Amino acid sequence: MNGVSGSIAAAIALAVVFFTSAPVHAAPDAAAAAPRTPKLLAVRKDLGSPPAGVTDLKFRDIFKTPVGDKGLEPSATLLALDGKRVRMIGYMVRQPSASKGAFLLSPLPVEISDEDEPLADDLPPSVVAVEVGGAANKPIPLLPGLIQITGVLHVGAKTDAASSRVSSVQIALDAHLGKALLGGAAPTRPASRTVHVDVH
Amino acid sequence: MRTQRLIRNTLSHALLAAIVLTGTDAFAAKISRLTPPSELFASANANGPVISRFLQGQRFDLQATVQPDVGQTIVGFYFSVDGRTTNPPNIDSNYKITYPLAGHLGRVDESASDASCIDTTSGKTTGKSGCKLTAGLPGNAVVVSQRAYAAYEPGVHVLKIVATQSNGSQVSAEGNFEIVAPASGQTKAKNIIVFLGDGMGATHRTAARIMAKGYAQGKAKAPLTMDTFPYTSMVMTSSLNSIVTDSAPGMQNYVTGNKAENNQEGVFPDDTLDPFDNPRVEYLSEYLHNLQGKSLGVVTTADVFDATPASMAIHTSARGNGTGIVDQFLDDRAQTGLTVLMGGGRKWFLPNPSNSVSPQPVNGSQRRNANDYVLSDDVVNGWGVARGKLDPERDLIADFQNAGFAYAPNNAGLSDAFKHGTPDKLLGLFAYSNMNVSYDKIAARRGDSTVVDAFGFPDQPLLEEMTDKALQVLSKNPNGFVAMIEGASIDKQAHLMDTDRWVLEVIEFDRAIAVAKAFAEKNPDTLIIVTADHECSGAAILGAATASAADLSAKPNAGTTVVGTYEAAKFPKYKIAADGFPQTTLIDNKMLIGYGANADRYETWLPNLFPTKDSQQPFPPTQSPSDPSSRNKDIGYFVSGQVPGDQAVHTATDIPLSAYGAGATQFHGVIDNTEVFFKLASAALAQ
Repeated sequence: MNGVSGSIAAAIALAVVFFTSAPVHAAPDAAAAAPRTPKLLAVRKDLGSPPAGVTDLKFRDIFKTPVGDKGLEPSATLLALDGKRVRMIGYMVRQPSASKGAFLLSPLPVEISDEDEPLADDLPPSVVAVEVGGAANKPIPLLPGLIQITGVLHVGAKTDAASSRVSSVQIALDAHLGKALLGGAAPTRPASRTVHVDVH
Repeated sequence: MRTQRLIRNTLSHALLAAIVLTGTDAFAAKISRLTPPSELFASANANGPVISRFLQGQRFDLQATVQPDVGQTIVGFYFSVDGRTTNPPNIDSNYKITYPLAGHLGRVDESASDASCIDTTSGKTTGKSGCKLTAGLPGNAVVVSQRAYAAYEPGVHVLKIVATQSNGSQVSAEGNFEIVAPASGQTKAKNIIVFLGDGMGATHRTAARIMAKGYAQGKAKAPLTMDTFPYTSMVMTSSLNSIVTDSAPGMQNYVTGNKAENNQEGVFPDDTLDPFDNPRVEYLSEYLHNLQGKSLGVVTTADVFDATPASMAIHTSARGNGTGIVDQFLDDRAQTGLTVLMGGGRKWFLPNPSNSVSPQPVNGSQRRNANDYVLSDDVVNGWGVARGKLDPERDLIADFQNAGFAYAPNNAGLSDAFKHGTPDKLLGLFAYSNMNVSYDKIAARRGDSTVVDAFGFPDQPLLEEMTDKALQVLSKNPNGFVAMIEGASIDKQAHLMDTDRWVLEVIEFDRAIAVAKAFAEKNPDTLIIVTADHECSGAAILGAATASAADLSAKPNAGTTVVGTYEAAKFPKYKIAADGFPQTTLIDNKMLIGYGANADRYETWLPNLFPTKDSQQPFPPTQSPSDPSSRNKDIGYFVSGQVPGDQAVHTATDIPLSAYGAGATQFHGVIDNTEVFFKLASAALAQ
């Protein structure tokens, strides 16, 4: 039995609120201004099974654990899904200005600070770049709360020419989701704060 | 392309001249900044405090921002000190005149920049990415420098800048600085160890004492090791631009003797955009390595690029420049004597080969051109430092190894590094970013590795183990060493108002101090100081719970109803395990902490099973709350915040400093943080 945390685990079990009910991080003003999440990308209580031919990928399954002496290494799960369609649940990373052509999907609500202080990168390395086909010059709306996406997975570092940001994993968003994201589908309300979804 | 740019610039400058000629805007020639900073320059008050003070021979940069008259450019400049030029000519036997320090001179302006760097309407600099100067300066402004100046005559000196305009007229300004001789009569210290409890105010120390040692009938049963140090000061911690410092000036002020602005390390502020070209001031490590051949050791529980460790050796105005910071640690080891570097931050050391074919290694590297460094000629020539390179592809672990550093990726590796004797140099990178805190590291050693496993680093050393190994390596140098050993997450957990975690961080910190004290007892030519860069969170010991652990757990929203104040607090009794840490922090009638610099939060008075999220980790545990404003929401007692954001903040409260060993008698009274530098140096320079 662990003395510090293990011995208290039972005692405080009732007090623990698991993060799976994570709140939306975006500031109230930003949330108010944010568009409603298109129905196809919204996360509701029951996600159900992924569509046929699609495999769920969790953020925690992207890298091997423990971390290697020379850095992170892609997991066997990730490599096995390279080139295949996957579904992921996560948060759109808030950026100082609307991104074009792609957005970042994160396991926790984070934002990239403005140009003056972009240097200490607060993004987890498991962040996935989601490429939106046909959106090269269209600003992608920031969706608050959890979203779900499906698309084709690509494993391997890739540098975004505009931001010089390097992503380890990319997903080419399914075309119908891209269309919905850019304004072609009926919206729904942002995800409830009480939604329980294992994003990791 | 170049021609087009020239045409644009010409048109831009012509437009600027036209604006001025029509009288719509006018600039008067002036010096808008003179470095080093002084009250004499800022307010023309000759009787104000002397802001910038240096040891005899301590190097620092002279710099001025010159705003010429409209239509003029600056064609020449010189600095003088007490009327004598700082760039004296050399006349050889053939009466040929040369200027040996010409390579130390530099100038930065927008004359060769893209036209977008000057606003065509206002004629002022735009500060856009790719430009040279910050926004709002006249388009013909120039920043001129003389690098690595040093003076030796003690006393206050007048610094003057004189700049010549293209029409032959001159603009000038004066400031001052002081040269300080080391205090005489000190006991000589060969080794200097600075223990920096980040964010550790008096409350943090007291809380650790109550938990780790216990009280009976009004007296502590035993002191913390830091309490046994016989000399004490109170330290004023303000930075150059605020009463409330952040960790960069909070640390660098101790080891440069001068004030930096928040976010800045080893530099004074300037008006250029390059975060690595700011006017420098020499660190204690550089000064003593060059003068006495001492080694430098930097040990932290944070990411090694973090503000406190970087503020021992790195010169930058942006503490977030991770790639450049870790590169400079290695590149400038000949200047600093870097021999030991330990902490977290492996992500900055991994190669990110941007030009390799897909797929590249997915190693989690955070190296980027955007936060790397390349220095200008004047800095390289003046300081004799590496130029640097934009090289995200660099394998910095391999480069450290090639430079003779043993590399330890975990605690087992740390032991392995000593299997065949003490290594000459040591690099330890035990986590991707910040290391896990002792609360979770100890839990793992007691059998519950849930948190450290989730972070992906199950075998991390404690600070006392890192300290022991660091001192073994550093003490191989017969010339001595300067070491900084940081308990980084006292601050980080105080920001998060995670009481149980920061109290254990102080205990871990004190156990590391005990290792160093034992070293100093065997090596009496060692000076140890224990201090903090600033207080964090406005922490206060309110008293203790009037409820049992079980009752607290059953009613986590009890709030004020279970807070025992004054005599109701009694004396909380924690049981300490053989590993030196409390068996549990959830005891009957536990100590209760409040926060005076708090953001909104929910208080349960209970330990948090998982640490609050750290977004820089590769595997943020699912169960971790995202921030204190959501942690225990709907369960705990709501405490309204007094500061914006979702974390507690640093405060301007003075912090305690304890000193032990050779030269420790200098530490008494209430002192400015910059004064610590001169006391440490006086001990090192004593005869």
